[in-house]
Amino acid sequence: MNEYKYSELMLDEYLEDVWKCIRCGFCNSVCPTSNTSFSYMSSKTSRGRIILLQAYFSGILRKPLRDRELQELLDYCFGCRRCLEVCPPGVRIPYMLWRAKHIGRRHNLLNKLIYSNYGSFEKLCSNFPSLSNNILRSRFGKILLELLVGIDRRIDFPEFHDVSLEKWIRMNRSSTSGKRLAYFIDVFTNYHEVGLGIEVVRLVEKLGYSVEVPDQREAGTLLLEAGMMDKAIKVAKENVESLYKYIMNGASILTSSPAAYIALKYDYPEILGDSKSKLVSEKTLDIIELLIKEYEDGEIRFNEKNSGRIIYHHSCFTKASGLTKHIKRLLTLAGYNLIEVEECCGIGGVWGMSKKHYNDSLDVGSNLFIKLRSLSSPVASQSETCRIQIRNNAKVRVEHPFSYISKAIELK
Amino acid sequence: MNGYFNKVSGKDVEFYEKLLGSKNLSISEEELVTNSIDAYPGMFYKPEIVLWPETSEQVSSILRYSYDRLIPVYLRGGGTGLTGTVPIYGGVLINLVKMNKILTVYEEDMQVVVQPGIVYNTLNKELEKYDLFFPPDPSSGSVCTIGGMVASNASGLKAVKYGTTKDYVLGLEVVLPDGKIVKLGSRTFKYSTGFDLLKMMVGSQGTLGVFTEITLRLKHLPEYIETGVAFFPSIERAVKTVYQIIRNGIDVAAIEFIDEQMIKVVSEFKKLQLPESKAMLLIEAHGTEASVSETMKRCVRIMKDNEAVEIRVAKDIEEREKLWAARKGAYPATLRLGKYMIISDVVVPISKLLDAVLNSYEIGRKYGIEVQVIGHFGDGNLHVHWTSRDDKEKIGLLHQANEMLAKWVIEVGGSVSGEHGIGVEKKKFMKIQHGEAYKMMLDVKRLLDPRCILSPGIIFDLEEVVH
Ligand SMILES: Cc1cc2nc3c(=O)[nH]c(=O)nc-3n(C[C@H](O)[C@H](O)[C@H](O)COP(=O)(O)OP(=O)(O)OC[C@H]3O[C@@H](n4cnc5c(N)ncnc54)[C@H](O)[C@@H]3O)c2cc1C
Ligand code: SF4
Ligand code: SF4
Repeated sequence: MNEYKYSELMLDEYLEDVWKCIRCGFCNSVCPTSNTSFSYMSSKTSRGRIILLQAYFSGILRKPLRDRELQELLDYCFGCRRCLEVCPPGVRIPYMLWRAKHIGRRHNLLNKLIYSNYGSFEKLCSNFPSLSNNILRSRFGKILLELLVGIDRRIDFPEFHDVSLEKWIRMNRSSTSGKRLAYFIDVFTNYHEVGLGIEVVRLVEKLGYSVEVPDQREAGTLLLEAGMMDKAIKVAKENVESLYKYIMNGASILTSSPAAYIALKYDYPEILGDSKSKLVSEKTLDIIELLIKEYEDGEIRFNEKNSGRIIYHHSCFTKASGLTKHIKRLLTLAGYNLIEVEECCGIGGVWGMSKKHYNDSLDVGSNLFIKLRSLSSPVASQSETCRIQIRNNAKVRVEHPFSYISKAIELK
Repeated sequence: MNGYFNKVSGKDVEFYEKLLGSKNLSISEEELVTNSIDAYPGMFYKPEIVLWPETSEQVSSILRYSYDRLIPVYLRGGGTGLTGTVPIYGGVLINLVKMNKILTVYEEDMQVVVQPGIVYNTLNKELEKYDLFFPPDPSSGSVCTIGGMVASNASGLKAVKYGTTKDYVLGLEVVLPDGKIVKLGSRTFKYSTGFDLLKMMVGSQGTLGVFTEITLRLKHLPEYIETGVAFFPSIERAVKTVYQIIRNGIDVAAIEFIDEQMIKVVSEFKKLQLPESKAMLLIEAHGTEASVSETMKRCVRIMKDNEAVEIRVAKDIEEREKLWAARKGAYPATLRLGKYMIISDVVVPISKLLDAVLNSYEIGRKYGIEVQVIGHFGDGNLHVHWTSRDDKEKIGLLHQANEMLAKWVIEVGGSVSGEHGIGVEKKKFMKIQHGEAYKMMLDVKRLLDPRCILSPGIIFDLEEVVH
């Protein structure tokens, strides 16, 4: 099969999207990587990436799609989905680019191994938390991580907890009756932000829910970003199968991470397109949505004790998830005076953590860091990777919005 | 005239590199390709090199050198042009996005001096601090540059109240094709000092010179704004409403027409849940709270007289912004309806608006293609979308239909372009649009650019400029 035919096949239904683009450039205006010190170059913008595909499929760009330089340019899309909101013809830009990147994926064996078994890898490390943390904190460990996995050595990761959230829930679950929630925790919360997960579980249990932890793998966003489409589909299928069983037994799916929410709500139905993933999507609700529902049903109210300023950072995934208005409403009900910042932090999941793109990610995030430092108030940001980037580079306190909101909640 | 121009050689690249530094030029295939097409559904025309100058002097040196070497030079700002102003003859592409600074704000005089590469919305965001704004408001405002707007005499949604770009350009620093730098205009609103060369430059689409500094007059931000939508049982009723609002001198800031199919398109794009109807008008008023309320009241009366089935007023800024975002994305969103589309940009005297709309549908029927109409009806500007769902064979028919409408428009005293310009796309109409005056335009082009190195093939065929 010739290279064009192969690429056409790989892009599948997204090939239509390539031609839907009229090059208006609206996506450039919101795309974080198209508003940097390097995006004066058209090829390093969102519209530029689509033009490259149009040129390739019209035979103008005479290079194979897996060409290294070309792939590096496509890789400047880190999948934040801000463009989906503004693209008038509805070009599904990140989904299309994941396919295009799949054609040119070029990971070494170790990278591939770690990316596709990221969840198991984290699990392994969490079995030896102090050893893992010592390695992660040490210069040697950081260099090793950079050499082996390509994670930039300048990044400080949150530590592994002594016990994973999954284990904690199994040991400490206080209620087995009531409305059922199957918690799709995702890897990061499970091993690094256990405290947040515990707060979530305690609150929903008080509200009369019972929380279960289904078998689950990582959400798989990382695999999509890395162009490992086949692996992403496999992981999505496994997760859907597992969650589907819980739904059949009357449970709803709970998330607290926007990456997990987006995967279940939008990505899985998009990449699998089957009825099970659509049902999982319908039955997924984020803790933020749950709180809104409980508030509207009169089950919770907010005490007046909180005041003070909070900076609400619009993480890309929260914007794309449609949860923003609920978070803002809850923070306001909780008594905080909100200052909103729209700028992207530049992390883009694992994209900005890589050695290759860490400097780019600082470039993207530079305006945000300056702003946050000058405002010097606590920050609320829903995305876990945004919190890492903000903590590391703006040096300010940053928490999941739930942590601020839950402090003000009073049960009826 | 193949072979008229010289190709960019290794020596030329060296010259440009020495002038600009290696970061400010590219010959990478990917960069050339992404600068080879704009938003016009035309072909790719690759430049041989892309340059990013940062000063007027650098632009001048590039032009002087290219002029002597007979290398064609094209210009690009936001690349949102809709008429195909791309490097037909290859050569150098000057991308102006690095010249994007606000040089001076004369707050008391309500003026600003900018470099050409600043994006329209970025400028207005900055001007908010002074309670000022640059009003034309093209739908592409989040991407297009001030240089591109001046070169296209762009306008947009608020032209009915505020006019077009040319009404705001007070001064220009222009680098001429041979590299000379001239300053045109003045910092005063009026002057009577000979030929108005400044206005001649506005709308010249990169064929007469490169604008490197632009002085704009500004307006105060309106104190109060209200936006409303009305839905009509027929196109006739909607157009009649527009006519009566304008004829009665009601001070609307915008009055946009959207037809039945386009209501569905914009509604789907921004998830607006607009009701089905034959036509919709989107109206905005600016002023004091009292004046805006009076304006809206008068509009509503006329709408009701014309049997508007539903009238809604945006309840907050969020809703207003959503409505405008939907309208601004209407043209590209049309691709939700079909794969192939071209857009016309005709303007007619407002008494001819209804005929123009009905005629467009009639032409569509004649050619067996789909037609959608939207437009800035307050100033008689129609955007007719000629579309074909998936039949590539029909592209020729789309162009024929477009041509038929354009000729009719000229016959009734209108213009083939209200705001997008001529570019490559509408060259064929220039002679019928202008008659003898077209030759005067050619003479001006020959006088300023006798070797035709600046944007050859745009507005004029190269063969007509150089024999
Ligand atoms: C979705 C969409 C909506 C649009 N809506 C509108 C609208 O409402 N109203 C409207 O008027 N237009 C509209 N347009 C057309 C287009 O956006 C305008 O013509 C705009 O002014 C072009 O600006 P640009 O910076 O993108 O210019 P470009 O496309 O980069 O260039 C356009 C022309 O300007 C010339 N040029 C650029 N910079 C300079 C300079 N510094 N000196 C001299 N010449 C220069 C170029 O040579 C070229 O001929 C729309 C386009 C799109 C895609
Ligand atoms: S917003 Fe959509 S149509 Fe416009 S350039 Fe981007 S992908 Fe293309
Ligand atoms: S998904 Fe994000 S990074 Fe990718 S093109 Fe869209 S806005 Fe840019």
